[in-house]
Amino acid sequence: MSVSEITLGHPPAEARGAEFRRGAAASTPVLLGIVPYALVLGAQAAQKGLSVVEVPLMTGLNFAGGSEFAAIQLWTSPPHVLLIAAITLLVNSRHFLMGAALAPFLRHLPKRKAFPALFLMCDESWALGLADAKRRAAGGLRPAFSLAYYAGTALPFYFAWVIFTTCGAALGPVLGNVERYGFAMAFPAVFLVLLRGMWKGFAAARPWLVSLAVAAATYLVVPGAWYVAAGALSGLVSAWLLAGEK
Amino acid sequence: MIEPWTVLAILAMAVVTYLTRIGGYVVLRNRTLSPRATAVMEAAPGCVLISVIAPDFVSKNPADLAALAITLLAATRLSMLPTVVIGVASAGVLRWVMG
Repeated sequence: MSVSEITLGHPPAEARGAEFRRGAAASTPVLLGIVPYALVLGAQAAQKGLSVVEVPLMTGLNFAGGSEFAAIQLWTSPPHVLLIAAITLLVNSRHFLMGAALAPFLRHLPKRKAFPALFLMCDESWALGLADAKRRAAGGLRPAFSLAYYAGTALPFYFAWVIFTTCGAALGPVLGNVERYGFAMAFPAVFLVLLRGMWKGFAAARPWLVSLAVAAATYLVVPGAWYVAAGALSGLVSAWLLAGEK
Repeated sequence: MIEPWTVLAILAMAVVTYLTRIGGYVVLRNRTLSPRATAVMEAAPGCVLISVIAPDFVSKNPADLAALAITLLAATRLSMLPTVVIGVASAGVLRWVMG
């Protein structure tokens, strides 16, 4: 990190407001895109027996959609806490990489600001914040990472996620038994779109196919939710083995 | 309204997720992951998601399998909302048609 990054103080409040609005504007298109995800998640959570208080508790404290979809899919009454925690860890393990990529840009921030900022790190705020920091760094702006811009991308997202998952939970029971009308297909639909978003070519997706095959076979042979662990672990092992080819 | 086990599971999720968020910053900021470890971390979310929905791929209901094929096709070209609508509608219609 350069010296200029340390010597320049914090921007005045007006500039921070403008930065926040710049971030909010950048995140608006993505924001509209998550509303259906949030409604579907809320409705499915209600179907699994979560209340309109428990749903915002989950989405507000956890704030990581992929893990919430996975957890709700595996939710039983009462839930298997360790299974839910382990799946959450697996789905969110990408955060380690994301945080590591962002870390060099956060060095100018005191920990009391960095830790709350990281709480709001989701795929979207991370991608927008990192891209902006790289652009600003290339343009010679210091500090490259604009905390107000990042907050502008993340906070509207956070509130939209909590509010619309709660709406989904409140509206879900109105539909009655959603299974009957084919609503169960909403889950694979959501997951397949999420996977499409992660798609980086067939070679990178080979571990997914291993996971799919092992999980499906395990599901047919072994009772219970073991198929998730078996599928996920076999995929990770194959990713490790395939990476050794190069 | 609030079940203790549900709250415990939610708190466990929240703690685990927050640890993943700060973990990279705290642990990895001064070192780089090996290419193999990076490959595993990058594959992980997809492996988990596909494993969770794997039972749908071996459903014994032909109507659901056909609907899944339609949904898979939709997911490759459409965004979230239309894919969900097409998935749910095709499952509903095919179940009704195919019994």
